[in-house]
Amino acid sequence: MKCTECGNVVPVKDFRYLYNARIDSSISIRQCTKCETWLAVDELNGVVTQAVGAGEAPWGKSAGIEGVAAA
Amino acid sequence: MTTCQECKSFFPLDEDQAKGDCVQRVKDPRQAYYMAKPVNAEDDCSSCASFHKKEFVQ
Amino acid sequence: MTQAALRDTSVDVFEKNQEWWWAAEKKRSTRLDYLRKAIWKKGAIGGLYAPGVKVDLERAKLHTQKAKEMEASPDPFVMKFAKILAHVLDNKTIFITDQAQLVGYTGSLPHTMAWDPSCASILNEEAYNDPTAIPDPVDENQQVIREICNYWIGKSDLDKMMPVFDMEDLMKMLSGSIGWGVPLARGGYSNKDYEYIMTGKRAFGDIIEELDRKIDEVDAEVHKPGATAETARMYDKLNNWDAMKITLEAGIRIAKRYARLARIIAENFEEDPQRKEELLKIASACEQVPAKPPRTLQESFQYDIFIQMMSRNEAIEGAWPSRPDYYHGPYYDKDVNIDKTLTKEEALDLVGEFLIRAAEVCQFKPKWTREGLQGIDGTWVWTMGGVKKDGSDACNDLTIAFMQAARLVRVANPTFSFRWHPKVSDEVMREIFECIRQGLGYPSMRHDPVLIANSMHWHGHPIEEARTWVHQACLSPCPTTKRGYQPMRMANATANCAKIIEYVFSSGFDHVVNMQVGAETPDVATLTNFEEFFGAWIEQMKTIFSILVRAVNRARMLAPTLTPRPFLSGISERSIESGLDTCEPSLAQGNAWITAFTWVENIDSLAAVKKLVFDEKKYTLAELKEALAKNWEGCEEMRLDFVINAPKWGNDDDYVDDIMLRCLDEAAKFSKVLKCPSGNNWPILPENVSGNIHYANIVGALPNGRRLGDALYDGGVSPGPGLDKNGPTAVLKSCGKIDHITGGRAFLLNQRLSPTQLADEKGYQLWRAYMRTWADLGIDHIQFNMVDDKTLRSAQKDPEKYQEVIVRVAGYSAHFVDISRKTQDNIIQRTVQGLG
Repeated sequence: MKCTECGNVVPVKDFRYLYNARIDSSISIRQCTKCETWLAVDELNGVVTQAVGAGEAPWGKSAGIEGVAAA
Repeated sequence: MTTCQECKSFFPLDEDQAKGDCVQRVKDPRQAYYMAKPVNAEDDCSSCASFHKKEFVQ
Repeated sequence: MTQAALRDTSVDVFEKNQEWWWAAEKKRSTRLDYLRKAIWKKGAIGGLYAPGVKVDLERAKLHTQKAKEMEASPDPFVMKFAKILAHVLDNKTIFITDQAQLVGYTGSLPHTMAWDPSCASILNEEAYNDPTAIPDPVDENQQVIREICNYWIGKSDLDKMMPVFDMEDLMKMLSGSIGWGVPLARGGYSNKDYEYIMTGKRAFGDIIEELDRKIDEVDAEVHKPGATAETARMYDKLNNWDAMKITLEAGIRIAKRYARLARIIAENFEEDPQRKEELLKIASACEQVPAKPPRTLQESFQYDIFIQMMSRNEAIEGAWPSRPDYYHGPYYDKDVNIDKTLTKEEALDLVGEFLIRAAEVCQFKPKWTREGLQGIDGTWVWTMGGVKKDGSDACNDLTIAFMQAARLVRVANPTFSFRWHPKVSDEVMREIFECIRQGLGYPSMRHDPVLIANSMHWHGHPIEEARTWVHQACLSPCPTTKRGYQPMRMANATANCAKIIEYVFSSGFDHVVNMQVGAETPDVATLTNFEEFFGAWIEQMKTIFSILVRAVNRARMLAPTLTPRPFLSGISERSIESGLDTCEPSLAQGNAWITAFTWVENIDSLAAVKKLVFDEKKYTLAELKEALAKNWEGCEEMRLDFVINAPKWGNDDDYVDDIMLRCLDEAAKFSKVLKCPSGNNWPILPENVSGNIHYANIVGALPNGRRLGDALYDGGVSPGPGLDKNGPTAVLKSCGKIDHITGGRAFLLNQRLSPTQLADEKGYQLWRAYMRTWADLGIDHIQFNMVDDKTLRSAQKDPEKYQEVIVRVAGYSAHFVDISRKTQDNIIQRTVQGLG
């Protein structure tokens, strides 16, 4: 897998696993061990979807929000 | 030797003048306050950065 | 928000935009605003202390200096310890903050964290190894810390106890894999005998007179002709009483030191006549309490602060059991309603300041504690409402004043927990709702009738005693009576329950700490049906609980002699009466519980194994064991199968809910096999504080689909974040299947609601209807987060602008900006439930 920030190419498992974005989604947060950027990773396809900065939510909204009447 | 009792910040106890409090005004980055630390009148304070001599030492 | 923008925007606009934190800044008095902003943030941010907050070396030095001086003294240990405590109180630096009306702090200066080096020498190294918290000059003070650490090696409480502990149990507990606590009576928290000390009938001076009478009587008794076994025991009682007296006298002396400082400031420095008058009032209050019972609301709060300060100088107190509206309420009534010596606004200032004084309290904690209590120093969960001993409504005007003050000062600690019962007025419920709606995350709601029955069921408290209950820490009810109150954190037996299911797959070997911790159950791959699998789970559960309980029981048994608490004993009727240390098990009813961290992972994992391995035979246990060993790496499709295609707790699905009931039933049966030193039961209490983040890197991959590193569920019986897909009523229905009286001691339930949906009267009515369902189902606890995603994401991006945004983490609240990114994301992941 290739880091979108520094171009580092190593197997997915060699990107430091941090935590899941949501347990029921295949997106996880991993860290490039070369440039230390936090990355959102599609675990099924083994690709980086985006770098994760402060306040960003690569998995979208919280569960259930769509079902809240006036929200 | 300079002693605490010579300092403006020294407030002796009524019941025992040999003991007292060093009372100081402090302003830290968040708040201002007065603090008191027990000291003895005869304590050496030659190296105390907060020492301010009293005008009249009793 | 810039200061200019804050000044130019009206309260109405902030409230319309639900920006409550900025509205509060504008609404509170100048005094409260100053005092609120004067607090040094003591809760660790993530696991690290905030810049500028430092370990208090003064206390550690005073303690160590006196201990050294007394090494050769012939005094029994309890007397030495009392004299050390008195020495610390007599010589510590004290301070009075500008504009304050209440005084007293655990450390020497506002930015310091009191450090007691005498509890556990192995934890002292944390002070040495945390250069960001060492005061300047760092090199010099690090050397001072080194010397203090060296002195206490072999002398601290834990060092004294280790040779008489079961070392195998202790090593497993302290490995950090299954437990969260150190089995020490002076490390944790204590409830208080508030019925003895806080009802206005007596104060320290009265108790000292009583002690003098006791000492004279027994002294005369032992010198009469004759000798019995009882006579022989009387010498120990005399020592204990003497020690209690020493600490109570020291408590009176330090109060008088505050009085003197207030007078010195008034007479020598202060020029503002109004402030001079306030300082003289502080002086008068500190001359009155704790020597004599309080006369006013200010004195009542001051008395409480002194008691807490004393207790926190005697021990590490990570909680603050309290029922402030109940015990201070009569003084509010007298000052505001009867004598009219205080206006409501003046009273609100005092109440707000009381919250602020509590919010700044801090004692230096090791990193594992900080990680489990992110953003706070300890769980100050104050109990509000409830019923009186006769069953009538205990709410009063001060209950309402506390709710209003909380919205003004917006501290995350203390938080409130409200004892709901059917007689609570609509006025009080609206005040509670307003706190929740304004995003405080508190009060949490407790079902008083259920919990009173629960206390009677599990621990046999008589009903009048059970009705006095306060939160001992986050959740567990504990009476405030002579025999009912708990003097020690028995919940040092806190179990990291996700290890139960993890150990089923590793035959009890812990691959994180690399040692055999659990039971050596058969290789999981050889198990042929769900009952065998569940049997292995039961064995691991029993093994883990037993290790923890044995260690804590041992600590409690040893406490009166090795780690006595003369001050806590001195404010306890049972000790004054008996001459025994308050930890003496025979004096107490006993109300221990096992805090069950990370509990629901077991339920979802068991359900996934039952369905996919045994019912559908889609995978074998050998395949699952291998996938877990690989932390699901390369097994993403299989992992998603275990998450998405297995039933999950919290959806009103009997398949998995029945497994929850079976697990609780097994735990409840075993809870009655386990006994505390007072002979009572050890029920479990599922909740997490922020242990779900602390344990993320300690719990391995699990069959519910989590990997090593992922946050665990947010705890108690809360469903996994995002996994409760059938709406809020389904969550309540699942939780309502549990018998909250006999199923365990208490069950934490987090719910996240939409602030937009609950904005107005309609929102209040929706919430009331939801709460009626909650009450009808007999669920003992519920707490709410009501801050939207947008605000939370903005706070992640610009933390400086959102300092007073609060979230409910688990059994406590924290300022959102003070918790780690992982915890923040975990909270945002929680399902937002729409009501109605």
